[in-house]
Formats: sequence, structure tokens, C-alpha cells
Amino acid sequence: MSQLALSKEQQPVKRKKAKVELISIVGFLILLIVTVAMIMPLGFMLSTSLKTTKEMLVFPPSFIPKHFAWENFRELFVNEEIKFGRQYMNSLIVAITTVIGTVFSSSFVAFGFARYKARGSQFLFVLVLSTLMLPYPAIMIPQFLLFTKLGLHDSLLPLILPSFFASAYMIFLLKQFFTTIPNELYDAGRIDGCREVRLYWSLTLPLSGPVIATVAIFSFIWSWNDLLAPVLYLDSQENFTLPIGMAAMLSSKFRIAPWNLMMAASLLSVLPIIALFAIAQRRFVQGIVLTGIK
Amino acid sequence: MVNNKGKLVLGATLAVSLVATACSSGGGKGGKEGETVTITHYTIDSPDRTFVEKLIPDFEAKHPNIKIKVTKAPYEQFDSKLQSAIAAKNAPDVTSHWGYGGFMEYYNKGMLADLTPYLDGFSGSDYNIPEDVMNIYKVDGKTYGIPLNSYVTVMLYNKDLFDKAGLEYPPTDYEDKSWTFDKMVEYAKKMTVDSTNLAEAQYGVDFGFGERDQRPQYFNGNVYSEDTWTNGGKPSEINLTKPEVIEAYKKVYGLIWDQKVSPTPAFSKSVSGQFGDPFLSGKIAMSVVGSWSLAASSDFNFKVGVAAVPQGPNEKVRSVLYVDPLFVLKDSKHPKEALEWIKYLITTEVQEKSIELSGGNPPVNQQAAEKYYNNFEGIDPKQIQQVFDGAYKYGYESYNHLISNYSQINELFINELASVENGDQKVEDALPVIEKKLKELLARVNK
Repeated sequence: MSQLALSKEQQPVKRKKAKVELISIVGFLILLIVTVAMIMPLGFMLSTSLKTTKEMLVFPPSFIPKHFAWENFRELFVNEEIKFGRQYMNSLIVAITTVIGTVFSSSFVAFGFARYKARGSQFLFVLVLSTLMLPYPAIMIPQFLLFTKLGLHDSLLPLILPSFFASAYMIFLLKQFFTTIPNELYDAGRIDGCREVRLYWSLTLPLSGPVIATVAIFSFIWSWNDLLAPVLYLDSQENFTLPIGMAAMLSSKFRIAPWNLMMAASLLSVLPIIALFAIAQRRFVQGIVLTGIK
Repeated sequence: MVNNKGKLVLGATLAVSLVATACSSGGGKGGKEGETVTITHYTIDSPDRTFVEKLIPDFEAKHPNIKIKVTKAPYEQFDSKLQSAIAAKNAPDVTSHWGYGGFMEYYNKGMLADLTPYLDGFSGSDYNIPEDVMNIYKVDGKTYGIPLNSYVTVMLYNKDLFDKAGLEYPPTDYEDKSWTFDKMVEYAKKMTVDSTNLAEAQYGVDFGFGERDQRPQYFNGNVYSEDTWTNGGKPSEINLTKPEVIEAYKKVYGLIWDQKVSPTPAFSKSVSGQFGDPFLSGKIAMSVVGSWSLAASSDFNFKVGVAAVPQGPNEKVRSVLYVDPLFVLKDSKHPKEALEWIKYLITTEVQEKSIELSGGNPPVNQQAAEKYYNNFEGIDPKQIQQVFDGAYKYGYESYNHLISNYSQINELFINELASVENGDQKVEDALPVIEKKLKELLARVNK
């Protein structure tokens, strides 16, 4: 008797549960389809990177290569003309230094804009933002002249140095975040005897995890993918970065493009980006910063 | 911070410019006898161009006072890097029109050095270069470029598809007048499977004769007025609405849409990617194409043959020649030494070595060319030689070397003819529009 009553009460709950389950199954299926669609091109990259030149040209293409040509990956590193390892190192050096430069210089400038009000600071900020309107080709030649006159032509420095002078886009991003940090925290800091620079270093930066991660990822990717600037500045093969090497693979109008090597190189070159996302993911997800104010 | 940066940079520039002016009174032109000079050779970063690096030790041993430095850039960025280097007074000494621009563009921008004063006692015949090939890069009798490689237009055909259809292979002799355009179309029909199923579809012919604006020449239609070839590549008249030119384009695009023996752009893209050649996928029986496609012939999945371009309506022109030169840039401080390097590159011995090193670049030196004809597995050298000889005899230099501002003109043709190639528009509707736009473009760039 009591059991019957109990089951009657449970029934609506069960129906609800079933509904929730159905939604989650459908949702899961949709996610699965989207995921497969997203991974397909990567799969095709892997498949092409493991084909011989002859098999690469077969139409219609097969998804699973008849013979796994692992030697394509070896070829990248042993081929004298490609020098893939050297280029990888150069790209890493440039990208990592650029990230450090961008994060510290842009956050320092943004801190100033966010925390201090002076006459004309608004105007200055607009001035900084207006530099966003200049596309790279507009400043390409003057900047090239400047660095050439400084004797920095054919070195990695012209690719790195500009990042230590802050970037307008990043300043904007960081400033918007810094203004949300409550003033009380800074007051507390001052009472405890912090100097202004200390407020930036020990208070602002640790509280800005997510936005710093964003800036780091953006600047890394931009530097990692940059092609035009390295092509202009670099003459010696020793200094070439990855994008130059990859563009060169497709430069011959007289040969079959080595798509298999190209795909092998592309696969290896997305690894740092994937690694960076994996590391920064946590920061992103944290999202809301605990500011310690109740 | 921002302000400081400005001051810093300004200060640095000032300091540097002061130093620069102080130094520029030194280092005169040319250097003294016996001093070593460095010649910069700027090229495309691909193995068939950068192989010259391997020739440097030998050259430097023979010319102890000259050092050679090779700089390079990917194809797409070739022009940007060159222009920046020239702007920064950092120009290379030796280069060629390997980017999008052509000879006339360089000439009209005043980028090229006149080599005539340094060419005393030089004659093309010493290097087995035919006189008319030497003349391609002369303007008003002055030499601005020395030929290095010469590509021609050939017909490549897929022997397997011919065998399957039971057809005779096309001839290699240009004097065999039975091999006509119409006969080619007839053959093509027999080897075409026009199907929407990509796996089954195959096409008889892909007619890539020159760039789009040069194609009518094969059918006796000339897009540009005759004076273009003598006045520095600036056409006074455009003939895109003349009946013979319209007819010519109808014939070209009729292969796709009326006869249905040529692949649509969509088909070509899906079997070979954006810039690939559909012939390589083995789904095209005959391909009229630049001879550079031969270099990769050992990688094809099928047996390939080479044949004469069939006889079209124009008795004189059946092939487009692409003669690649080397230039010395105007800003070069050592044109004499730069020319030594160029002369070295066209000697018979070096041209022969270069075939192997570059993976099959065709020498301009006719004696070295003998060796080139023997370079292709499974293709009879005599046949290749016949095809090249005929192509030279009935050849016309590619427009992209002769017309000023060619990269912009070519882009216009590519964009405007895309709708015709895709079958969305008729030739007679598209041409008047192109004529109007082209006239506007020429008025703008050839002021």
C-alpha cells in the first residue's frame, strides 16, 4: 500500500528524468557530428602527410594511404633545402619573446590608462587606438627603412622589438579588464605601503589571469603565422621562420607541389598552438575573478 | 610610454642618419681594381631556382675578386621584398621577373640597368643563344636582360587514355599539317566522358595556350594593336569586340560549353586543387601547356607523351615562348661584375650542369639543350627536340614579358572571364565589358 503511493509520487519525476536524458542524448549526438566535421580536415591532413607523391595525385583520393610514408616527416628534418628544425626554432624564439614583450609592455601601458586620470589621457588613449587603423603595408616600408638603417636587417630583432613597444589592440583589451578591478583593493594596497609599480606587479597582474592568457594566445598566434615581415627582413636561410619555409614549399610553378610534406609540416606546426590552448584553457574557464570584495 | 617611444626612435633615427651622411662620402663607385665585391642574386625560394647556390664555389674559384650572395623569397612575396629592398637602397644586383610583374613593368619603372656599355665583344652566338631570342629583351637596340632559360608551349598527352580509346598518338613534327585544331577536337570527343560523377568523368583536352589575353592569337585574333610590341608595351587600341577576337574566344570556351570536351574550372579545382594541373590526375587526355609541366613527368601515374601543338587558323603562331632573362638592377654598384656572373650562368658547361641541379630547367644555350632533351624518362629525346624546334619556329613571346603593368591586366582578364569559364555568361556579353574596364585601367596606368 505504502509502496504503491510511493511509486505514484515517483512517476512524474521519472518522466522528467527521461526527458532530461533524451535531451542530453540528442545534444551529445549533435556535438558528436559537429566534432567529427571539425576533425575531418585534420584527419585529411594526417592522411595526405602519410602519402607518397604518386599516391597524392590519385583521384579520387583515398582516406587511408596504401603505404604509410612516415619518411615524409623524416624528410622535413634531414632535407638540406628545407631546414625545418632550424625554422621551427626560429619561429619559437620569435613567438615566445613576442609574447613576453607584448604582455609586459601592453599591460604596463594599459595599467596607466586604467588607473590614472590626467588631462588629455582620454585623448592619448584615442591616439593609441587610432594606430589600429594603419594596416601593416602602410608602415611596412618606413619601418623597414628604420630597421635597415639601425643595421638590424637580416636578424630576428626587427620581428621581436616592436612587441616591446606595446600594441594598441592589446592595450585596449587589458585596459577594459583593469578598470573592472575595484578601487578598494588598490586603496588597501596603498595603506599596506605599496608603491604604484608594486600595485601593478603584485596586484593587477595576478588578478588578470584570463585576460593575460588571451593576450598571450593572440600575440603568439599572430607572431607564429606572420609571413610578410619575416620575408622582408630575413635574407639568410639560418634566420628563416616556419611560414617562410612553408610558403617556399609551394613556390615552384614548375613542379608538383609537395602537398604531403606541406601537410606533415602543417601538422607539426599546429602543435604549439594546441599546447598553448591546453595550458591556457584552465585560465579561460576560471572566468570570474574572485576580487575578494564582499 | 608612447611619447618616450617616439623620442627614442626619433633620437635613434637622427643619430643614424648623421652617421650615414658622414659615411656616404667614403666608399665610391665600383671599388678599386683587386678589391673583392659582393654580388647579390635575388631569386624565388624553390629548388629549381636556388640551385645556383651550388654553382657559387666554382664561380668564385674562377673569379677571386667576386663573391656571390643569394637572397630569396617565396613566390607570392617576391615583389614586396624586392620593392622594399629597392626603397631601402639595399637592392640586389641580379634578379629576374620571377614574381607577378614582367619585363616591361620593370623597364618602365626604371629598375633595370642598360647593359649595352658592358657588352663590348659579347654576342649571343658565343653562348649558342639564337639572335631573335637575344632581341626579346632589347628596347631601342639596348640590351636590358640576358636570356637564361626558355620554356615553350607543348602538348602533353596521356598515352594510357589514347591506348584505351584505340587512337594514334599525335605527331611531334610541326610540319605535319594534318594535325589540326579540328582533328584535336575530334580526338578529344572520343576520349571524353562528360559525367557529374567525378570518379567517372574524364575530358579530352585542356587548352592552356598562353595567358587568357594571348589565346586569340592562335586563332588569328589580336587583342592588342601592333604598336604595343614596339612602344614599350602600351597598347593604343584594344580589339576585344572585333569579330575575329570574339570568334576566337567562342572557340576557346566552346571547348568547355559547346563541344563539352574540356573540363570546367569547377572540375579542375576539385581534382587538382586551386592551382594544380588537372592533367596530373590522369583525367585529361591532352593538355596544351607550358613545357615546365614536363619537369615533373617522372611523378605522373600514367605514361606521358609529348606532341606538337596542332595547326590552328594562324599559320605563324602555334606556341608561346617563355624566355626567362636575368637583369642587372639600376642601383647595382657593380654592374660589370654582375654581368660576369650572368655570363658564367649561360656558358654551355654551366647550363648543362644546371639541368640536373635544377631538376629540369630548359637551357637557353642550344648546345646544352641537346642534353636537356635526353633528360626525360620514357620520352624519346628526338621527339622532344622536334617539339621544341617547331615551337621556336612558330613561337611568339609571352605577352606577360612584353606588356607594361601586365599583372593588373592579367588579373582583370582572370576575374572578368571567370563567369564565362563557369558558363554563367556568354563570350559576346563579357568582352565589351572587359574592353571598357581594360581601357580605363590602361588610361590610369599608362599616363
